Amino acid sequence: MSTEFLSMLQLADSFFPAGTYTMSNGLEALSKRKKVKADELQVLVRTHLERQVGPADCCTLGAAYESAKAGDIEGIIRADQALYAAKLVEEVRNASARSGANLVRCVAAFSNDALLAEYAKAVNEKRATGMHPVALGVACAALGIPKHEAGAMFLYSFCVGMAGAALRLGVIDHVAAQKMLHELGPAITAAVKENVDKPLDLMWQFAPAIDITQMEHEQLDSKMFIT
Amino acid sequence: MAKRVPRVGVGGPVGSGKTMLIEQVVPVLFSMGYRAGIISNDVVSKEDADRMRRNLATEKGMLAEDLVVGLATGGCPHTAVREDPSMNIAEVEEMESRHPELDLIIIESGGDNITTTFSPALADYFIYIVDVAGGDKYPRKRGLGIETCDLLVINKIDLAPHVGADLKVMERDAKAVRGNRPFAFVNCRTGEGVDKVARHIVRDVLFELPPKARAG
Repeated sequence: MSTEFLSMLQLADSFFPAGTYTMSNGLEALSKRKKVKADELQVLVRTHLERQVGPADCCTLGAAYESAKAGDIEGIIRADQALYAAKLVEEVRNASARSGANLVRCVAAFSNDALLAEYAKAVNEKRATGMHPVALGVACAALGIPKHEAGAMFLYSFCVGMAGAALRLGVIDHVAAQKMLHELGPAITAAVKENVDKPLDLMWQFAPAIDITQMEHEQLDSKMFIT
Repeated sequence: MAKRVPRVGVGGPVGSGKTMLIEQVVPVLFSMGYRAGIISNDVVSKEDADRMRRNLATEKGMLAEDLVVGLATGGCPHTAVREDPSMNIAEVEEMESRHPELDLIIIESGGDNITTTFSPALADYFIYIVDVAGGDKYPRKRGLGIETCDLLVINKIDLAPHVGADLKVMERDAKAVRGNRPFAFVNCRTGEGVDKVARHIVRDVLFELPPKARAG
């Protein structure tokens, strides 16, 4: 067993302090509008994987990872800014930037990687936003975690976040949450395979119903989650 | 590098008076010249932040409206101030960079149970507030918040006779549990005892330094 494997567990663990437990990615607004059933939740998460966080976030993560491996800070910042610009919903955009900035600062506290430190500095100086997939891609490159595993970590953590939010919103129970995570396995691996090796200019997303729900969340008076 | 703005965490059970304490103590500090920003972790709404903004910023003009920020924490109030305070730290740092003139930033935790404590990375000083209506057993029952906070505040003392709570018992137990560390009886509705809380903040958080605005 390698230390890289342990680093992977560490960064993918919900104990890792990146603040993602505060996000429902629109699920809170949707569950206020209608009763969401367990099977509908799974369809929703799949749609995220196939049309939003897969082609946009996972693709950007891969591009940032490659830039990090090439020692190209400008490439990393380009990926960071491209994803920031692509996120249509302000709450979601800001939440991603905040959690990524937290992630990169935390990893910078225990990694000596010069490029990671440079990216953290760019985030602190507001030359980069700290988008979560970019931060994770750079951190994984610094810790020797392979790119496909980095993509899987990101998408799996996203699904855990959705499952956790659904649990707290009363949409599913703890066993149903684990069942869903298990059943999403093939969709996660497919989304990684399809997106993580693509160049940045092939990044896309198209999930207007999700965008609208996430915008609805911005208008809620009473809310438990930041997205 | 400029010194960071001192941070005071306020935690306590639901309905114990965290928001009211902040609404009372900020004007006392303001009258002494100190400027505070507020981050309010509300469990399900923006109500506390909205009320404080309306009261302290819009109506009293004691601080700019962007100095009262509400933060949702995914229903995990203790996680947001201890296990993973990263979202709160991000808010604090943003507020600090926008308003370097602040003397302190107050972070209100969402209402939680008696095990609440603040991460030392988030708060330099931790006030835990309980109220007498929960029963005079509270200090005796201990819990991390009551045991480890820098200042224990016991609120709603006017209700004691109505709920069968004995303040003498609470005082005795607070001393027994906390040793020499301070506690204060307050009534946040009338402001009684709040000056004592403000004095603790000025002495133990601000180290009696003059307000930044006055120090130039």
